[in-house]
Amino acid sequence: MGSIVRAVAILALLGANLAPTQKLPWESGEPNNEKQFVKFLYPEQVTIAANNESVVELHFTVSPGFHINSHTPREKSLIPTQLIVAEPAGLTVRTVDFPQGEDFALTSFPNEKLSVYTGEFVLRAHVKAQAGEHLIQAQLRYQACDAMSCFPPRKAPVAVGVIAK
Amino acid sequence: MVKRNVAVVLAVIVALGVIAWAGVVNYRKRKAEEARAKQPVIVLSKADAASAGADEPPPFKNPLENKQAPAFTLKDINGKKVSLADYKGKAVVVDFWATWCAPCKVEIPWLTKLHDQYASQGLVILGISEDDLDADDKAALFKEKREIAESAQKLGINYPVLIDDAKVAEPYGGVDQLPTTFYVDRSGKVVAATIGLVDRDEIEANIKKALGNGEQAQKGES
Repeated sequence: MGSIVRAVAILALLGANLAPTQKLPWESGEPNNEKQFVKFLYPEQVTIAANNESVVELHFTVSPGFHINSHTPREKSLIPTQLIVAEPAGLTVRTVDFPQGEDFALTSFPNEKLSVYTGEFVLRAHVKAQAGEHLIQAQLRYQACDAMSCFPPRKAPVAVGVIAK
Repeated sequence: MVKRNVAVVLAVIVALGVIAWAGVVNYRKRKAEEARAKQPVIVLSKADAASAGADEPPPFKNPLENKQAPAFTLKDINGKKVSLADYKGKAVVVDFWATWCAPCKVEIPWLTKLHDQYASQGLVILGISEDDLDADDKAALFKEKREIAESAQKLGINYPVLIDDAKVAEPYGGVDQLPTTFYVDRSGKVVAATIGLVDRDEIEANIKKALGNGEQAQKGES
C-alpha cells in the first residue's frame, strides 16, 4: 500500500431521509450536463460481509488524450480529484485511498511536472455496512485538461449497490 | 565472349545502381516520414492537441466573428471597476484564464511581453479570471480573490486582471475551455479569437490585426 495516498474524502455524510426532490449538497454548484472526461466503469454492485470493514474498488477511466489532477496535485492552485459521497443509512465510507499521480509535463514547461491520472485508475473505498441492501451514491469531482487547454471542474456520477450479508 | 561478359557486368552494375538508388530514395522518404511523426507538440497547433485518439472537441468557431465585443464591467483584483468601454479607440485582448489552468500559464508570459511591446501602439490586455468563487462565504471569497492576485503576481501579469461575475463568459460564447482569447479592434469589433494554447506568433498576428497593422489590415481587410 506504499503507493497509495490514504485520504478522507467524504465531504457529505448524509442520512437517507431526504425528500425525493430535494437536492443533495453536492448536486448544487457546477452544472453536470456538460461533456464528461471521466467515466465510472464498475462495479455496479458488490457483496460484502456485514458489520466488517471491506474495501470496494471503484474503477474509473479518463478519456484518451486528457488528464486530470491527482488527489494530491503539486501546486495549491490546481484542483485535486475528490470523491464526494452521500452515505445511506446503515453504511459508512470510512476512508478512500487514492492512487499516486503519474508525472505529466506540458511540452512548453518540461521541468514543471504535474501529478495526474490518465487512462484507468482505481479508488479503494473502505466501507462498513449493516446487513441489508444499500446504495452508495457519489460524485468524482475532477478538473480535466488536454495538452492545450483546460476545462472547469466537473463531477462524474458514481452509483454502487452494496449487499451486506 | 568478352563483349558478352562486359555486357553482363554492365547490366549487373546498372541493376545494382538502380537498387541502390531506390534504397536511398526509400531511406530518405522513410526518414522524412519519421521526422514528421516526431514533430514536437511545441508546434502548438490544434492538430497536435493531446495525443492520437483524443476525444477532440469540435473545431472552434469564433462565436463573435466581426461582431461588436459584448460590453462588460468587472472589478479587478484591487476592487477597481473596469469596463471594456473604458478602452474605446484601443485594441483590446480579452483573455479568459484561471489559476488552475496550466496551459494559461504558458500563454500569459507571452501576453505580458507582447503587452510591453505594443502598449505604446494602443494595445490593452484584460485578463478575466474564471476561477470559481464562493460568493456566499465572505472569508472564502476574500481568500479566493487573494489567491488570484497572488497567482497573477507570480506570473508577472502587467495588465488588469478582472474577476468574472459569472455573467461575462456567457455573451462571449460560454467560455468552457481555457485559455480562450478574443481580439477586439479599435472600433470594438472582434477580429479574431482562439481557444486553447496557440503559438506565440499567432497571438502576435492577432494583436497586430486588432491594432490595425497586421498583414490583413495593410491589405485593407480589417
